[in-house]
Amino acid sequence: MSPSPAPAAPAQRTGDHDGCGCPGTGPSRRSVLAALGLTGAAGAASSALSSRVAFAATPGPTDTLVVLSMRGGWDGLSIVAPVGDPDYARIRPNIGLPSSLALPAGGVFGLHPALAPLQPLWAAGSFGAVHAVGQPSGSRSHFRDSEELERAAPGSSLRTGWLDRVLAVRGSGTAFQAVELGSEMVPSSLAGPMPAMAMSSVDEFQLSVWDGVRPQFRTALAALHAGVTHPVALQASTTLAAVDTTAAMKAAGYTPANGAVYPTSDLGKGLRDLARLIKANIGLQIACLDYGDWDMHHDIGKPGDARGWMHRQLADVAGSLAAFAADLGSALGRVSVVTLSEFGRRAAENGSGGADHGHGQAVLLLGGGIVGGRVHGAWPGLAAGALDQGDVAGVTDYRSVLGELLQKRCGLGALDAVFPGFTPAPLGLATQI
Amino acid sequence: MPTTHPPQSPADDSAPVPAARYGRRHVLAAAGVSAVAASVASAPLSALSASAAPVTRRKAVRRATATATRRRTPTASPSPTATPKPSLTAPRLTAGRPVVAPPILLTPPAVVAANLTLPNLAGTDPVWHLLRRATFGPTPQLVADVRAIGPTAWLDQQLAPAAIDDSACDAYLTRYPTLGKTTPQIRAMTAQYSWDAMYDLIRGTLARALWSKRQLFEVMVEFWSNHFNIATPTGEVWDLKPVDDWKVIRRNALGRFADLLQASAKSPAMLRFLDNDDSSVDTLNENYGRELLELHTVGVDAGYDHAMVVDSARLLTGYTIGRRGEFAYYNDWRYIGPVTVLGFTHPNTDDFDGLHVAEKYLDYLAHHPATARRIATKLARRFVRDDPPASLVSTLTSVYLSSDTAIAPVLRALFGSPEFAASIGQKTRRPLEDVIATARTLGTAPAAGDRSSLGSLQWLIGGMGQAPLAWVPPDGYPDTTEAWMSTVGTLGRWNAHIGLVQNWWKDGMSTATPAAALGATPAATCGALVDQVSLRLLGIRLSAAQRAALLAFLPATETTSSADTVRWRLDLLFALVLDSPNWIAR
Repeated sequence: MSPSPAPAAPAQRTGDHDGCGCPGTGPSRRSVLAALGLTGAAGAASSALSSRVAFAATPGPTDTLVVLSMRGGWDGLSIVAPVGDPDYARIRPNIGLPSSLALPAGGVFGLHPALAPLQPLWAAGSFGAVHAVGQPSGSRSHFRDSEELERAAPGSSLRTGWLDRVLAVRGSGTAFQAVELGSEMVPSSLAGPMPAMAMSSVDEFQLSVWDGVRPQFRTALAALHAGVTHPVALQASTTLAAVDTTAAMKAAGYTPANGAVYPTSDLGKGLRDLARLIKANIGLQIACLDYGDWDMHHDIGKPGDARGWMHRQLADVAGSLAAFAADLGSALGRVSVVTLSEFGRRAAENGSGGADHGHGQAVLLLGGGIVGGRVHGAWPGLAAGALDQGDVAGVTDYRSVLGELLQKRCGLGALDAVFPGFTPAPLGLATQI
Repeated sequence: MPTTHPPQSPADDSAPVPAARYGRRHVLAAAGVSAVAASVASAPLSALSASAAPVTRRKAVRRATATATRRRTPTASPSPTATPKPSLTAPRLTAGRPVVAPPILLTPPAVVAANLTLPNLAGTDPVWHLLRRATFGPTPQLVADVRAIGPTAWLDQQLAPAAIDDSACDAYLTRYPTLGKTTPQIRAMTAQYSWDAMYDLIRGTLARALWSKRQLFEVMVEFWSNHFNIATPTGEVWDLKPVDDWKVIRRNALGRFADLLQASAKSPAMLRFLDNDDSSVDTLNENYGRELLELHTVGVDAGYDHAMVVDSARLLTGYTIGRRGEFAYYNDWRYIGPVTVLGFTHPNTDDFDGLHVAEKYLDYLAHHPATARRIATKLARRFVRDDPPASLVSTLTSVYLSSDTAIAPVLRALFGSPEFAASIGQKTRRPLEDVIATARTLGTAPAAGDRSSLGSLQWLIGGMGQAPLAWVPPDGYPDTTEAWMSTVGTLGRWNAHIGLVQNWWKDGMSTATPAAALGATPAATCGALVDQVSLRLLGIRLSAAQRAALLAFLPATETTSSADTVRWRLDLLFALVLDSPNWIAR
């Protein structure tokens, strides 16, 4: 019996694949957020009973941990390209990065040329990478892998995000202890009882009444809730404290230091706001930003063409992070930035000038405490026998990467409350704070 | 190569919605371009889902030939797809009350006050209480209507929605052209992978919440849409969920749960969302088989083990989607062999029509006491309090079972119960409920517009995390106070109130001015005006301290003339009353 024809293949994309920089389409961005439903409930995030407004200092020095979520599965083999691997050019004849174009990164690796703004930081040792990073149950499904990545508790029934558990271990914190920037929804890595905030931007996080009446309006809001023991009253206090802070920051304005010029992209604006929040010393411990879309099944771009999809987006990332680092100056010594994607992409290119969902990914690290200038982790190679179902193997568990940052830079002791049942492997990617 | 699934141990079965099981939702995250990313218009998103749609990693699935047919074994049982017509009971405008249904209690028994765990910020009026729970928000007209005919008669009307004239709302909905259309029609009307039909559905849902006179029906549509959640909008159900809404949910929302379950199991949107459309005897996918048990029916504590989850999935093999997006049964994919799930066993040989064996299984689940208890609990959580009273859950469980899974009798029992009467102020408004109730009480009215109408509300509510149908995991939006308490939710709510009062969003809707919304001559003094506004919006006066806070804001004293306030500050006064903790009580 001959099988019936497969369902008609979906039409090839004919439209442009606008990836970044298009202004003025707020609703489209939000529709996408609604679709992704970053934990839906603008938190299942805070329990009225545990929300805290107190400004208690966290014991000991600790970096601000910045998690930059690269949505869609970003292609580590283009970003930190194993140009010296003998199989690379063979399995990526068209989209593979030629070594002549790659920025030297040591070993078999070369960085994508779009990362040029970060090259000085690579040389200075505050920008580094880890390759062949994976999560244990990689299903190559965006949603499933994103959820598992952010829950970070495979084999358990925990429903909280790993960052929520970090906050729980820390205990005391301020209203600004964890902030998602550039969105009004908290990511699932922060899902759980610990309070977390989300804001499109510092300046926009405000009561929408006209300036002339705002102080009185705010006073009335507080008074309407005074003495009421309903959970909403606790949230009101926290919220008013938060808008007071952002109002003061907005009034003060902001000029990036050291001549840093941020791209005008959303990521640029988000990192600029992040720098502001860090410098404001309001107890920011964890910051989350999202950037996408990296789901480059096709038309990833011709190597060397600066208009290609990967090149344009990566240039935005590099420009924004470079500006961020410059703006912080020496304060970068107390910041650790880590990128995370739900998976990397297949080792071999596909027939559409891209690559399909894969497994092992490349992680970028930025910060004063990072051991930069090199690619950490064991590189399994791209030989057929080394691949995991055609994908880069996930040799290093991403929780080892995060765990080392948490222990060396963020003052956490044992990690089993954050990553239950997991023993991290040391990688040497950060120095002790 | 097979899609990898994490090994499932029995321990996982006890987890409340363990994460790794949501099926082929890669298009969701592909569409999950963040706000920090560049804005993405819907065309590239749909194209992304196009690129993600091809099956790249599963081993070749043996697909049925075009000639495969369903073998239908003639049976005496009625076709499960036949739906009973909604009853056409004429609304009772006179004093007669049905003997069987308990009357809605008019005063809450004082004895249950001790059970309240949230301070009651909503007063004691049972009509306001009923309307806060059984509709998307009270309005002065609705309060008057219910007072006129009595709560029981009103509830009877609401439980017979077909008899309620809803022509004004229906006329508004014509601007969303794909509503009520079939998949082939949607495919003809929109570009492939377009999100237009899903946006029509979301906006139509908002329009109905705002303006339908069949309010309890719409509330139940929302309830069941959450119970049988299919995340929308996503690329994988672009032409399917819009059909599921009318064919599965709306058709059965006030019918029998057993019919609703059968319809859901044959819903292409559900089969796609939970991966059953690719599940076959050769490549079994457990996703729908598991969620059917865990979320849709008996629940995670019912006592099934992993082998039963496998058998559940096996029973559903063959339930898939045809070329035109309709339900199709592929007999070639069907698992043949004995199956056991809880108390349901079947030899399931090829003498039996697999489609029908699955129907019997679904009917068994619909009538299972554990299902009854779960539905009863969810309804009690939705309509009574976050921690449903055990006594009420027991009552509702019995009613569900004795009425052959019909929902309307359960609702009658619920709204007539002493537990309901005693639960004033024990629920809180979630973002969707807050925004819609605000718009309704302010007298927001339908206005001319086009297909983009109510998009502003869609984004507004979505920004607070509760856009209709947008919850991603299959379990639906959480329904407790704690789940929704957050800084961004609070600020979002306050800002939404200002925006609605000041009529910022005019796409297909027009909000009355506060003076018009007051519905009466403004009181002469500021003190009296404060009371007038809070009675108008909340049905109660605020506390002395709260009144003082509002007067201080204006600024005014009790006896200051209200003229200036009415002229310059009435909108802000409205907004502050809506921002009060009393408004959030549902």
